[in-house]
Amino acid sequence: MEESGGAEQRRMRMKVMVGVDESEGSFYALKWALDNLFTAMATVGEATEENEGMVFLVHVEPKVHNFVYPVGPGGPAAFYPANVVVESVKKAEEEKSASVLSRALKMCHNKLVKAESMILNGDPREMICEAADQMQVNLLVLGSRGLGALKRALLGSVSDYCAHHARTPILIVKPPEQNKKQ
Amino acid sequence: MAESSSEKKVVVIGIDDSEQSTYALRWTLDHFFPNPVFKLVLVHSRPTATSAVGLAGPGAAEILPIVDSDLRKIAARVVDSAKQLCIDKSVKDVTAEVVEGDPRNVLCDVVEKYHATILVVGSHGYGAIKRAVLGSVSDYCAHHAHCTVMIVKKPKTKH
Repeated sequence: MEESGGAEQRRMRMKVMVGVDESEGSFYALKWALDNLFTAMATVGEATEENEGMVFLVHVEPKVHNFVYPVGPGGPAAFYPANVVVESVKKAEEEKSASVLSRALKMCHNKLVKAESMILNGDPREMICEAADQMQVNLLVLGSRGLGALKRALLGSVSDYCAHHARTPILIVKPPEQNKKQ
Repeated sequence: MAESSSEKKVVVIGIDDSEQSTYALRWTLDHFFPNPVFKLVLVHSRPTATSAVGLAGPGAAEILPIVDSDLRKIAARVVDSAKQLCIDKSVKDVTAEVVEGDPRNVLCDVVEKYHATILVVGSHGYGAIKRAVLGSVSDYCAHHAHCTVMIVKKPKTKH
């Protein structure tokens, strides 16, 4: 039956975008996605060439503000030029992003899933939604910090924003419960 | 502790009469099935007749049974067309449930009952104001369900 063969191919070639950051919640989301979305397909066992879902790992670096940092006593002469501080903050951010992405890429390789990574700058909510639209992914996966309603209103929730504004289907992975009965 | 031979992962999907939920069902069937690992549970929540009628007026007692049977017909129709869609996509392991009550609670309860791996809901795509006034089931579920939630939106036909 050609239709069912086509459906399987469509299923296996699912492009999934996963938002990652340094939080455990997002790594749990990545692990969940790899376990449930990709190994399930591997068990079907046919057509190993088409058995390629793809994962796009997206890490968004928040923009660094240019503040002037007053350092030490003695007026304006002691102001460090903003550049130096901004540079070092940027470098720290880059190192952090690199370690986050390398850990995520390793997880994908362990599960034999093709993965690509990208680093974006700006507001996480908007950048993730834009990236999902541009890459025309089938599914966007985000972790959730499991905040209550008040915290969410104050701190903001990336998954909440994306759930309402992304045009692609979105999967929100909750952190595992402490008292899980199974 | 139930190490049953079929440790299938349960996918619960909420369905109602809308186009968006049919689209969500179709998307899920296309992308997740046929698949030996997943088991599909369709849930339709039927509003109770009393909540649909609203405040009791003088004639309420008479129209209640009519409203009730109408809701029952709608529920049956929704479930049947969903089951038909599953059969068309050759997905066999499907359970369907019709539960009375508020959709938000019903969906979360079904997730608990089946220890679902994932809950799929469509989204009407309301803006912020409509959502505040009419309420959003997908929003509630995304925050209160105890499992992963997938929200499938029907793409708006823009440009």
